[in-house]
Amino acid sequence: MDVTLFLQQLVNGLTLGSLFALIAVGYTVVYGIIQLINFAHGEIFMVGAFGALSTWIVIGRAQITAWWMLPLMILGAMGVAVLTALVMERLAYRPLRNAPRLAPLITAIGISVFLQEVVRLFYGLIPGFPDAKAPVPFPAVQGVSGGALDLGGVVLQRAAIFTLVALVVSWTFLYFFVNRTRIGRAMQATSQDPDTARLMGIDVDRIIMVAFALGAALAALAGIAHGLQYTNIDFRMGFLAGLKAFTAAVLGGIGNINGAVVGGLLLGLVEVMATAYIPGTFGGSAWKDVWAFALLILVLVFRPQGLLGAKVVDRA
Amino acid sequence: MRLNPVTPELQQRHRRTGWLLALVGAVLLIGSPYLPWAWSDDALDDMTYLFGPSPTQFLGLALGAVLLVCLLAPRLLARVLAGRRARWFAFADGAKAAALGALVFVAVVVVGIAVELGGLVNVRYGGWIALVAALLAVAGTMLLPRDRPATLGGVRSPGWLVISTIAVVMLVTLLLVAYALDEDDPVIFVALLAFVAGVVAVLLKLGVGPWFSSQTARHRGVLVASAFLVAFAFPFTQDGSEANMSIATQVLIFAATALGLNIVVGLAGLLDLGYIAFLGAGAFVAAILSGSAFSAVGWNPPFIVTVLISGVVASLLGLIIGSPTLRVSGDYLAIVTLAFGEIFRLVMINLDGSDGPDLTNGSNGIPGVPDLDLLGFDFGEPHVLLGVEIGRFANYYFLLLLVIALIMVVFANLNRSRIGRGWVAIREDEKAAEAMGVNVFGLKLFAFAGGAFLAGVAGAVRAHHDISVTPDQYIFLESAFLLAAVVLGGMGTIVGVLLGAVLLRLMPEKLRFVDEYRLLIFGALLVLMMRFRPEGLVASRRRQLEFHEDDEELADKVDPTVTRAEGAR
Repeated sequence: MDVTLFLQQLVNGLTLGSLFALIAVGYTVVYGIIQLINFAHGEIFMVGAFGALSTWIVIGRAQITAWWMLPLMILGAMGVAVLTALVMERLAYRPLRNAPRLAPLITAIGISVFLQEVVRLFYGLIPGFPDAKAPVPFPAVQGVSGGALDLGGVVLQRAAIFTLVALVVSWTFLYFFVNRTRIGRAMQATSQDPDTARLMGIDVDRIIMVAFALGAALAALAGIAHGLQYTNIDFRMGFLAGLKAFTAAVLGGIGNINGAVVGGLLLGLVEVMATAYIPGTFGGSAWKDVWAFALLILVLVFRPQGLLGAKVVDRA
Repeated sequence: MRLNPVTPELQQRHRRTGWLLALVGAVLLIGSPYLPWAWSDDALDDMTYLFGPSPTQFLGLALGAVLLVCLLAPRLLARVLAGRRARWFAFADGAKAAALGALVFVAVVVVGIAVELGGLVNVRYGGWIALVAALLAVAGTMLLPRDRPATLGGVRSPGWLVISTIAVVMLVTLLLVAYALDEDDPVIFVALLAFVAGVVAVLLKLGVGPWFSSQTARHRGVLVASAFLVAFAFPFTQDGSEANMSIATQVLIFAATALGLNIVVGLAGLLDLGYIAFLGAGAFVAAILSGSAFSAVGWNPPFIVTVLISGVVASLLGLIIGSPTLRVSGDYLAIVTLAFGEIFRLVMINLDGSDGPDLTNGSNGIPGVPDLDLLGFDFGEPHVLLGVEIGRFANYYFLLLLVIALIMVVFANLNRSRIGRGWVAIREDEKAAEAMGVNVFGLKLFAFAGGAFLAGVAGAVRAHHDISVTPDQYIFLESAFLLAAVVLGGMGTIVGVLLGAVLLRLMPEKLRFVDEYRLLIFGALLVLMMRFRPEGLVASRRRQLEFHEDDEELADKVDPTVTRAEGAR
């Protein structure tokens, strides 16, 4: 077996997996607190990518690609994504908090289609912005775009490094945020028992908003990473990415942040390895999505609580 | 700020002012169609004549007349409607609905004239008068106090009256549908829709609607039979024209699939986001076995066999996908079915001979599916029946009516059976149902596989109707549309889902100008429906209660024994 090829696939898998993991955290944080599958989360990821592009267009009239554009784009992306997520939570989800479980899921599909269409139809109408009906080129930024690094035969794209670093930083941040801050501990309390948390003086509505905002910020990071890696973004990119990230969240155990990260990385690896190593006609990239979803179904059959999830899923 | 308390005198004064305002509005509404509304006859139909109302203007006149009747009836009919009969009708509520309907109608027409002729300057004084009249009517009726709910729904009427009402309603429906479908102008179509919605709202508020539904419940057979008779008669109004029949068959395919999904979502409460895949599975099986030149399989069984195989294959897929996921949470089912829908599409694309075994011809799909040939009856050939030419689409239309009838029979019988009650119990509280001895897993699986079977049958017919079957006909968005039809119309009801399906398929055909914004409106509609009327346009009472648990009055209507028992404690 070719070791270099294997290492290359490993790197590719981890890169893809980091992207899934960043989005999956958003599903898991919200689910952990209000047991809602925020199906429109994939669209937040897409909106984040467009937020980054908009920041670049607005600030970088002269097509700036200097390294300091990156933090600005991250801020812009996070701002747009968080705002969208908060408005969505306030207007669409909060009124349905005690509704039958079908209602928020159907709402989520509506939001999802709505956000896609808003971007498709209206993004290009803003003066100076490109038409979003077709894929839009994503800007290159110094430091994270351009020449790949060669580590003894294993090629490491700069955008991939950005994605991996983004995941590590976010994960560390989340760990400290959830375990060491007041809000983080309030989040844990709310996820264990919202009613008791409320009695203890925790503003549950605010905690839910924090959960949505956290997920959206990470999804925005993923949106930038996606743009840098694939150099194109389009209004449809949230659907498949969202579905995969949800798969990752279930794989790791939904509601568990570490689980989402592990699940994301694992899903990325499975997809890349399946593409590279499954022989015959069922290998290759044409089948990779099929394997990813098949994995989701297998996990639900044999370990519905996920790899790291301890809680047995029994919610109807 | 301190508000003055509402005294009886104040109410009385407001009532009188409101009544007068609304009366003026109604008279103006009746008069305005005789005035010219537009400068050019290019807008809508010809609205340029003084004292010559166009058909569209007549609709405005009719709404005005309805409003006038609602306003005057309590006074004129005071002697007839005395005593217990006094509360039969809710005239004030009816007037409110009529005024609102008139406002929407006139606004649509005025905006339509402005859009089609390029600017509001093209609206002549008649249009403005009508708009002012409608505004006056709305303002006036708003001042009227609300009626107590009409009691007409509880009145028993002789059978002949009910049956002849059913006949009249059905006839009007048939004529209306034929008329609406012939309408090419999208604005007139919307205005017509606003008119119909307005009249229906008036009837519902007035108490005639509840009367109709409670009386027809005793003559359900007559109602259903006459509805089918009307549906059956529809092609004969088309005089051999295929354009509308093509739309009608598409609506029926969509409606049949939505009814199948309604069993899964509406009765059993399982959110299936990949339902379109079962339709696709049926369609692909039928196409492969159809003897098309592009099919990889040579076997070409008769259609009866093909339909059964399609249904069985679809329900097997349902079993494969359902058995693992139905054991865990309902949310998982939604996402897994979504994933399954994607897998289905991808597999159909990949089974093209280069990425996998050749079965489906890849993304090109299987074209050239021959027309159906049932017992020597060729669906591709026009036939002459009762002097009217019945074309290719009309043939499929009749077949689809049969399929829909089959699904409705299945639905109605299941709904009233032990199985149906089990589903309702599971939908409302799974754990309680299990504790009461309901076989939760078995029933869920049955609903899932049964719904898949029906979709497979519909898919088999669709393959022949569409002539070609391609994977991109079966995308997630189609599943979302089906779900929207179920949600919009009213989960768990037949009439509602039929209405939802007709609206969702007919609107895009007739309103080409909103085609670009179709999905945007659709997404917003789903969110708004869930927010403000989650039970759908036509709600089953029980379902309505599930979404409004705190509504005591409603609970009493659904099951008087429960609240009374609680009150006695």
